[in-house]
Amino acid sequence: MKIYVFVLLLLMMLGRNATGQVSLSLALNSRPQPWLAEWSNPVNGAMIITFMPGAAGGDPLVRLRTTLLNESQSAIAVTNMNNARIYNLKQGTNYFNIGDALQFQNLVFQGNVRALLQRTGRLAAGQYQLMVEVMNNAGDVVIARQTRPFFVTSYQLPVLLQPANDANLDAHIAQNVIIFRWTNLVPGGQELPEYRVQVFEIKPGQTAMQAFRGNRPLLDEAAPRGATQYIWRPMLPMPDSVANRKFIWTVQTLDREGNPIPTEDSAIEGRSEPAIFNIADKRALPQEPVLHQNLTNNK
Amino acid sequence: MKITVIILLIVTVLVMSTCRVFAQDTRNQQKISLSGEMGITYEYYGLDKSPETPVPDFYAPRKPWNYFRYLFNPVISTNKWLIPFNISFSPTQNNFLTPPTGRRQNLWEFLTNPANNFGVSPKIGTTEILLGTQTLKYSDLSTGDIGVFGYGVNLSPGRFRFKIFNGVSQRGVNYVSPLNFPPNGITGAYKRNQWMAQVGVGKEGVYFAGFNFVRSSDVISSVSSPPLPPVEPQQNMIVSFLTTASTANGWNFNAELGQSFHTLNLNDPLSVTPLADFKPFIKSHTSTVKDNAVMLGIDKKKKEWEIGAKFNYIGAGYYTAGYPFMGTDRMEYLLNTHFNAWKKKLNVVGSVGQRFGNISHLSGPQITTQIVANVNVFAQFSDHFTLNTSFNNYGFNAPGTSAYKSVSNELSLNPVYTWANSKMSNMLSGTYTQSRYDETIFPAPVTHNDTKTVLLLYVPSFFNSKLNPDFSLMWFHNKTQLIELRLWNFSGDVIWNLTKVFNLKGQLQYALSATSPFTSDKNLLTTVGFNWQLYKKLSWQFSATANLYRYGSELPGSSLTPVYPGEPQYLESSVRTGLNYRF
Repeated sequence: MKIYVFVLLLLMMLGRNATGQVSLSLALNSRPQPWLAEWSNPVNGAMIITFMPGAAGGDPLVRLRTTLLNESQSAIAVTNMNNARIYNLKQGTNYFNIGDALQFQNLVFQGNVRALLQRTGRLAAGQYQLMVEVMNNAGDVVIARQTRPFFVTSYQLPVLLQPANDANLDAHIAQNVIIFRWTNLVPGGQELPEYRVQVFEIKPGQTAMQAFRGNRPLLDEAAPRGATQYIWRPMLPMPDSVANRKFIWTVQTLDREGNPIPTEDSAIEGRSEPAIFNIADKRALPQEPVLHQNLTNNK
Repeated sequence: MKITVIILLIVTVLVMSTCRVFAQDTRNQQKISLSGEMGITYEYYGLDKSPETPVPDFYAPRKPWNYFRYLFNPVISTNKWLIPFNISFSPTQNNFLTPPTGRRQNLWEFLTNPANNFGVSPKIGTTEILLGTQTLKYSDLSTGDIGVFGYGVNLSPGRFRFKIFNGVSQRGVNYVSPLNFPPNGITGAYKRNQWMAQVGVGKEGVYFAGFNFVRSSDVISSVSSPPLPPVEPQQNMIVSFLTTASTANGWNFNAELGQSFHTLNLNDPLSVTPLADFKPFIKSHTSTVKDNAVMLGIDKKKKEWEIGAKFNYIGAGYYTAGYPFMGTDRMEYLLNTHFNAWKKKLNVVGSVGQRFGNISHLSGPQITTQIVANVNVFAQFSDHFTLNTSFNNYGFNAPGTSAYKSVSNELSLNPVYTWANSKMSNMLSGTYTQSRYDETIFPAPVTHNDTKTVLLLYVPSFFNSKLNPDFSLMWFHNKTQLIELRLWNFSGDVIWNLTKVFNLKGQLQYALSATSPFTSDKNLLTTVGFNWQLYKKLSWQFSATANLYRYGSELPGSSLTPVYPGEPQYLESSVRTGLNYRF
């Protein structure tokens, strides 16, 4: 029995050698960018297809069939083979980016996943698998196949808590100590992020956002890793009437490597929606209560 | 291009009509008046450290060494025209969030530097021409945060409302590698053009209904050395419907529904499958997404009270270049009230709200919740005694496998007692704040963070003296399981009114702060300055500050390279002066 199996395998190998040999290797970043349309970026990995024509030549024309599987091994997207691109492989090694392996334009997504992608361009956070099959030109024979797992992480930036947007701080306290607090990065994970607290002075004639976008920060310091509170010692003469008394602050969230947490607009560089605080001098101003509007600080 | 031609035509027609108006006004002895202000401020900053070049560097400079800022905001008024200028700028670049050019700015870069304003918006009747830097707020979901350098017009004939503006909200900046611009290089940015328009009907203070359109697009060819990923050229389009209404009996209502089309990377290929687009304004690429947002608000205002409610929903893929930092994927409500009672001697302001995050489940299966509650009660018990009490609560909960929870409670009491005799009046103010912040990063146990602050402020006012001093004493205590920080601060201020137009002022502040088990850091901060009313409309302000900080045993000199025999310290000095002229 064993000898028959061996002979059969040998015949199959010889047959393949006669028509050429194709091998597939997926070098997929285990944490690729969450935006599937950006997978052609080299940071996400590469695909290598090696083509060695056999004695009888071999067909260099192939198509790719891609399947995305979720955590429970169910397919959430499959290539529409009718529109699959035909590749003409050159002899030897053929390099592709991982976006070519994904064929995002030609993937047919399941209902909920498709709706989320159309809204956000991203998959929900979780564990997935990318399965790529090299098919013959007709699309009916699998020549090579490889599956690689990957993990999608999608973050929600922290929300600033304190000082609340448009809060008035007492000058005599604020010149010594200001406590900043914010919510954590979601999801938290085991690798604690670094939060940098950044405070900008709003100069005369500037809007708050102008100061935020145009000025150098007065404070740009990291809180202890993972901590969502920072105690600032301003040591500024805040009761002085000449001093600036309007500030805008934010928290910049960086990952373990010190890179900003990715957001829709990369220019934001992981910065949360900023908040303004004012310095009030009790000697000059009547005492008036301040309505904190932290929840609706959208200008 | 066509739209540009239309705008230019509109502006030309308006300018021609303006010329006719001027000609008529001249015959009618036009009256011209000037108001507003202009000024210049200068700040010097210096930092001396002992030792001079420590490793590690224990204190970095926090301001530019020299900083000038010019302000020119005159308003020219004639019988028919109102021409406000908004010019404020700094000749040097201090950009941080938006990239600096890395070299001297050319004129265009200077004009479009987001730190500067060069705007004028002449208005005649129902027509307003907008030129230069304008920060236009159309609505909360379309645009309002970002200054744009360009041109446009606002028209409001009768009940018709029309606004249009085109300009640059981000200048193009080339990428420069860290080798050529140490230490970090220049990230670079694509030039971002922004179109915005509003069309609707309305009556000032009564109602408005209309559509907002905002389109922003990065110009790929605007840089010869493009920024590296993840900075990509983007495109964005917002369409929103906004309506507001107010009634005579105090009801106010507003609603806005917005839809955003956002392309993450214009270098991605055009989409071949039917995806979200808004032709001809947006052609969908593979990275184009579409999402929605809603804002609703209702309140009733009366003389002695106010009550209101707000609701916001921002979809996970909603993005607007007009509010680039807006948090997304959230839904929230807020109830607020404000009322006076006890013959206006009691004033209460309160709000309570809740925010739900990750509602798309994009960042995990669980929704995050955040609670915010504030109440502030101001009571005037007598002519001499008032009490302000405030309580704030913030709670945040992110359940799931990597769960996180934090709760912050803060109570603040601020009694103020004033008394007077024939020679002087006195104010004694006390503030006590207790803040508790509990944080849990599962599975670690809760970390408690307790903070107490006490401030005593005494302000005597002598009726027959030119001296007006005040004194304050502050104690601050922050304690966690691992760290305990104590801070004492004494501060004395004095204003000396030498003449009616000239006063001297000074402040001396001494602080001791210690983190257990180390010895105290010492800090002496002193400020001197003056305000001088040189002429009726011209004033000069001057302030010089020295801040000496000496470290305790938390930063011993022996921990530095080279070893420093004494206590490390730094001296920060700053001078701030400004001339201001009011027209």
